[in-house]
Amino acid sequence: MFKILQKELRTLFKDRRALILGLLMPIILISIFSLAFGGMNKGNNKKTQLLVCDEDKTEFTKKLVVAIDSIKTIDMATTTLDTALDLVKNGKYPGVFIFHKGFTDSAHASKPLPWEMKSDATRSIEMEMMQQYLVQTLYSKVALMSMQNQAGNADDLSAAIAMQQMKKSMDERSKMQENMKIQSSSIATGPNNDGLVQAVAGTAVMMLLFSLTAMGGRLLEEKENGTLKRLLYSPLTASDILMGKMLSSILFATVQLIIMFSFSSMVFGLVLAPKIVAVLLLILVTAFACSGFGMFLASVVKSRDQLQTLSTLAILSMSVIGGSMVPSFLMPGWMQIVGHASINYWSIQGFYDIFSRQLALTDFIFLKKVLVLFLFGAVLSTMAFRLFRKNVTSMA
Amino acid sequence: MIEVKDITKSYGKTQAVKGISFSIKDGECFGLLGPNGAGKSSTINMLSMLFPPDTGSITINGTDASNVNAEVKQILGIVPQEIALYEKFTAWENILFWGSIYGVSGKQLTNKAEELLKWVGLFDRRKELVKEYSGGMKRRINIACALLHSPMVLLLDEPTVGVDPQSRNLIFELIQHLNKEGMTIIYTTHYMEEAEKLCDKIGIMDNGKIIAQGTLDELKTLSAVSDMIVVDCTQTPDEKFLSDKLKTNVAVAENTVTILSNDSKKDLTSIVTTCTDAGYGITRIDIQKANLESVFLKMTGKQLRD
Repeated sequence: MFKILQKELRTLFKDRRALILGLLMPIILISIFSLAFGGMNKGNNKKTQLLVCDEDKTEFTKKLVVAIDSIKTIDMATTTLDTALDLVKNGKYPGVFIFHKGFTDSAHASKPLPWEMKSDATRSIEMEMMQQYLVQTLYSKVALMSMQNQAGNADDLSAAIAMQQMKKSMDERSKMQENMKIQSSSIATGPNNDGLVQAVAGTAVMMLLFSLTAMGGRLLEEKENGTLKRLLYSPLTASDILMGKMLSSILFATVQLIIMFSFSSMVFGLVLAPKIVAVLLLILVTAFACSGFGMFLASVVKSRDQLQTLSTLAILSMSVIGGSMVPSFLMPGWMQIVGHASINYWSIQGFYDIFSRQLALTDFIFLKKVLVLFLFGAVLSTMAFRLFRKNVTSMA
Repeated sequence: MIEVKDITKSYGKTQAVKGISFSIKDGECFGLLGPNGAGKSSTINMLSMLFPPDTGSITINGTDASNVNAEVKQILGIVPQEIALYEKFTAWENILFWGSIYGVSGKQLTNKAEELLKWVGLFDRRKELVKEYSGGMKRRINIACALLHSPMVLLLDEPTVGVDPQSRNLIFELIQHLNKEGMTIIYTTHYMEEAEKLCDKIGIMDNGKIIAQGTLDELKTLSAVSDMIVVDCTQTPDEKFLSDKLKTNVAVAENTVTILSNDSKKDLTSIVTTCTDAGYGITRIDIQKANLESVFLKMTGKQLRD
């Protein structure tokens, strides 16, 4: 029994890199998961960006803008309506709060207030949460300022009395609440539910990374069983071999993604039809990026044990920070920025562009994501090629 | 056909091949004989352009093959030491794949695959997965996969390791047949019987160098030894003690001592006396004619299996 124990430990310590990765992996993953999901419960520490657009431009609305800016959980910026809508559409800001023309007059006349929240289709949940903060701050402020106005030239004391009188009347209070209701909508709303897009795209990319890393592992298998050496004896070059493997990875990944999206369409009602070309383009570049990732990992490691540990660590980390597991807007701000370094982020955002933001194939915002994914694939593949050629020379 | 001039190869601080030279004529079977770690596989890897030599040159069929050259690779068939096959493929799928990467296709490929499978005696089992084959069957397919493109030169790196006697004999027959048909063959082995049986010319390698080369007769002459006396003792003899006493090359492996002799009848008495006086009980004595084993012992002072 102890001989077996001794042998097992010796085997374990033979591949020190795999051992170190294996020991470090849970620690790193716990840290990443805690930072990401812990961030969800620390909403007070996280500022949400909000654009404010004051089209009424009165002293009344200016005071309300200042009031919004004073909310600690909001990082506010003001701009024109067109710019604001573009920024939200681009996904740079989650939403814009608009004071439409005639807001002040409506407030003074106790008419329904023309204010509105327009949000990024993919971040409507975040905007609903923000709306609660706005309501708490703005309702009392608007009510107070309206009362002051109704009291004419009376001082603050008489206004307060007037407001107190107003509050006595339940009917009038409910009428005021009705008038102060904030209209909210998404800038573009497609036929697909955001949650479904998140679930399909997030899971698809994560699973693709796992399966393509396994395909990359076949390179190591070939090295171990001698077939790689035999391939290198043939007229094929090292680049021919890796290119062949890369193409098979891309093909497999493309088919896998098509199957995943088709399944989601048939079973869960994901609407693909109007955007099929954009979906296929995004599938192709995602497949290329993920294949590059798989080949790169397989070229970096020396054994299949190392590959298994390193790939689990890298894929789970990328999936957390990139938004495969939970929408990235729920994570702390700095982690959302780090998430840009993952394939998951760009791919999921690309699918959001198609399904939720309803962007056209030629829209630069969408094409930018396609380009970034292509660059991921190109850089990782190039590095994999270089490492592979270097490994080949040291094979014998 | 093949000209190797003063090639060297190092891995880090270890020099595996230390300036070897040899030439092989068209249609010749050249054996590289030596113990494990002698540098045979490194030499084969350089000949097959897996990596270039650090110094020196290799010319194959008149073309420089010191660096990767796809044209030269096309005329080489290489049987690696490992059984380099896809175990999840059938023999038929393997053979078609390895043929296709050398550019053989269509009817030509299937005809050749069929011919080779019949030749290695596995045509009837071609649809079985390779992982279900015995070691000997895998070795035969391993050889067949190197022949699909009808190479001019066949390099075999210890092709009979771990093979049963029946498959080994079949492999010998295959190699002899190919050689008779005019194929140039380079065969590495650490079994002297194989080199003696198959090769026209033999290079004896040890510690990265070719210590002797020529035909079997030339090597025997070179070693100037006519006999080899093998004595089995009741205990392990002291090699140095016997060597000093008998004044000849002696190799001890467990309880067996191998002694070189130019006149076995004359030397036999002194061998028996020396062993008995030293307390080594003799259980068997065998007198053999000089062979590659005796040549290797003479040249290196050690046995091939060391």
